[in-house]
Amino acid sequence: MHETELHDLSDDSDYAAASRHTGSSNITRSDSGKSITSESGPLKVVYSKDNVSIHPTQYASERISGRLRLFKQGSSLFLSWIPYKPSTDAEDDSFWQGSSSISKEKGRNLYTIKLLPLRDVHSIRRHTPGLGWQYIIVVLSSGLAYPPFYFYNGGAREFLATLKHHVCIVSCIATTGLCKSVDDANVFLVNDFQDPLQNSIISRASNRASLHKPSNSFSSLDDSKIVNGTTYGDISSAISEYRGRPKKSHDPARDISIQVMEKFSLVTKFARETTSHLFRENHGDLLNTHRKKQQVEDGFLNPATSSSDDEKKTTNMVQVDSDPLEFEKLPLVWGTQRKAPLSLEEWTSFLDSEGRIIDSKALKERIFYGGVEHNLRKEVWKFLLGYNEYDSTYAEREYLASEKMHEYEILKSQWQSISAAQAKRFTKFRERKSLIDKDVVRTDRSVAYFEGDDNQNVTVLRDILLTYSFYNFDLGYCQGMSDLLSPILYVMKDESESFWCFTALMERLGPNFNRDQSGMHSQLFALSKLVELLDSPLHSYFEQKDCLNYFICFRWILIQFKREFEYENILRLWEVLWTHYLSEHLHLYMCVAILRRHRAKIMGEQMDFDTLLKFINELSGTIDLDWMIKEAEALCVCAGENGAACIPPGTPPSLPLETNMGLYPLEDEVL
Amino acid sequence: MASRRRMLLKVIILGDSGVGKTSLMNQYVNKKFSNQYKATIGADFLTKEVQIDDRLFTLQIWDTAGQERFQSLGVAFYRGADCCVLVYDVNVMKSFDNLNNWREEFLVQASPSDPENFPFIVLGNKIDIDGGNSRVVSEKKVKAWCASKGNIPYFETSAKEGFNVEAAFQCIAKNALKNEPEEDIYLPDTIDVAGRATQQQSSGCEC
Repeated sequence: MHETELHDLSDDSDYAAASRHTGSSNITRSDSGKSITSESGPLKVVYSKDNVSIHPTQYASERISGRLRLFKQGSSLFLSWIPYKPSTDAEDDSFWQGSSSISKEKGRNLYTIKLLPLRDVHSIRRHTPGLGWQYIIVVLSSGLAYPPFYFYNGGAREFLATLKHHVCIVSCIATTGLCKSVDDANVFLVNDFQDPLQNSIISRASNRASLHKPSNSFSSLDDSKIVNGTTYGDISSAISEYRGRPKKSHDPARDISIQVMEKFSLVTKFARETTSHLFRENHGDLLNTHRKKQQVEDGFLNPATSSSDDEKKTTNMVQVDSDPLEFEKLPLVWGTQRKAPLSLEEWTSFLDSEGRIIDSKALKERIFYGGVEHNLRKEVWKFLLGYNEYDSTYAEREYLASEKMHEYEILKSQWQSISAAQAKRFTKFRERKSLIDKDVVRTDRSVAYFEGDDNQNVTVLRDILLTYSFYNFDLGYCQGMSDLLSPILYVMKDESESFWCFTALMERLGPNFNRDQSGMHSQLFALSKLVELLDSPLHSYFEQKDCLNYFICFRWILIQFKREFEYENILRLWEVLWTHYLSEHLHLYMCVAILRRHRAKIMGEQMDFDTLLKFINELSGTIDLDWMIKEAEALCVCAGENGAACIPPGTPPSLPLETNMGLYPLEDEVL
Repeated sequence: MASRRRMLLKVIILGDSGVGKTSLMNQYVNKKFSNQYKATIGADFLTKEVQIDDRLFTLQIWDTAGQERFQSLGVAFYRGADCCVLVYDVNVMKSFDNLNNWREEFLVQASPSDPENFPFIVLGNKIDIDGGNSRVVSEKKVKAWCASKGNIPYFETSAKEGFNVEAAFQCIAKNALKNEPEEDIYLPDTIDVAGRATQQQSSGCEC
């Protein structure tokens, strides 16, 4: 087979590929690369290591060994990995399956890296397992990852040292907090995040990899197919080439990135399996490995059945099922770097001369990725909340404001006109008022705006809530509403506007406070489905621990994480959520993100419902907002349509499906 | 002591919004009072080690949201409870009137194996307010109700001042222990709360 010639590819042919490459980031197969024309000076080997191997399957016998090299040409650095000829490591090939040598041949071609420019690499992750060999995982800017490269003769450290010497590497182990794997993992972000190309998911999506059929000798790609994002070739083939040139994409993230993610997960799936089994495999304990694999596949690994195993740990941590997304490290891939908040200048550019927002979708996208500068919030939030229409003019909005102020005064007068004598005969009013009075004095009193005795803003908070309980008498007042109103009043600093913005918010979140808790239950149900989709071992664990009601996340959902973050961060979080940019239900993906982040601890310590609730409650104040948004974004994109299908129509904060009837189911006791 | 098995006693605090459930819990566990407690959303709990008759227990005290609307969560939060503390505000009649609802709701949601004898404790909180001048629920009225529900022990407390809180929770712990199945525990023969509860003064749980 001609592919075996890969082994014989000399530096010369690498030169050829590299020289073509200097003009374009599109690497091509170099079967024809016999002629050497160097445009940017000589290609110099700056690092070379033999016996760097990949494992297309979990079996050590199927490893493909090769030579990993770094080349330098001018100021550019390139990475290559060329597998050896089959004869050098084929002795055990047929041990497990007859087809192994075939698949291996295929893998040999699939994973060959001819010359990968380092600027196309997003990150390199080094893993240093306690036992076994060091390996690295190379993740491209597109989100695609190569399988792990195992350094059987050592040299991972030198490799990274060489890299560091030549390109700008940011070690991100501390800053991202992503390195939660059990190994000692080091992530090295190769590229500069300031690169505008990497700043939005759209550019990432358009930066996607292109694939080619490995056994084909032709290597050109049909550009139109790539642009349309419809044709991806053989998904099972992995990535040995990468097209890094950004292309315009008209569609945000989702459709394209899902497909990238699909391929990505295929690659990483075997990376994961390989890694988790490699060590045992290499110790020849094949049967045991096979049995264990079966156990893992059968569901959560019962600690009782594994307790006799040689792997039993001395601590009381139990073995935790691996994270199905572990190696994908979604945030690493998709965690779009947060932008600076929307500035006045930018905001103005979204408005036409009469004050209409020309492209509300672009505005929402912009806010999703960076939020809004505080002094703009008063204006922008009214759109996000739906109080102002995007296509309204300045004049229309001004008129609306005066109308609504008048309307508010009428509503407010409904309860203001209740005399003491009437109140005496109006139990529901008294009780409602008493409940609200009790809550406003314990709502955000540490925030300067609401601080101190006889604070007028606390009175305004009370008045708005009481007015709302008349405006929406069926729903009334429920604890948690004061938490939702407080930031709105803080931003609006105007009673009527705050009331109407709150009312608009409650159009979506009102069902959270239904007497029958139906709005909450539907969200908790959707959350359960999402966890099942995105982390089935964790879902199984919750099932086993009788935690599938997800009451542990009740507070998060009821008041949109209000109690989990500092005040300033709540403003940021909410404006991001209110864009409904990727999903109306991003808050559910946020729940998944946080749960997944602590999955190893939750399952490892065998937390029961009580412990879990306590643990979750105590996360308050410790969650990194930007991380959470990025992770949720990644999960949402990754889940795609399947994720959306987990969330029944009408689940809050989607607008209710039917609005002609009474919105809020009543029970006898209306408080 | 460390070698002994530490038993968990689960206690649920119920009562209307704003009667001081969170404050009572924090006063007992942390010996602190704050005006800044927020309305409890969902549920939370604190734990405290208690010693009863030379044995160590972990008292797990659950603080729940006071609004009736959230009662459907109780199924998850109340299960396995060993004792239920019913709190009202001596200055708010309605909060006392609701004790019956809270009690019944608890029995429905927690469905203890022996509802007739499940241990409840009633706390009348905020006795410090206005030097007691604003109180509207008389001690007599409360004690009558407690007696009618199987001699529920009653304490008057001030979470703010820390008054009677320790004593109340000592009683709560002992009653929670009483609820444990006999085979699990060593039962000291001095526990006899129910029989004497109605004769006690507000400071009294002589168990």
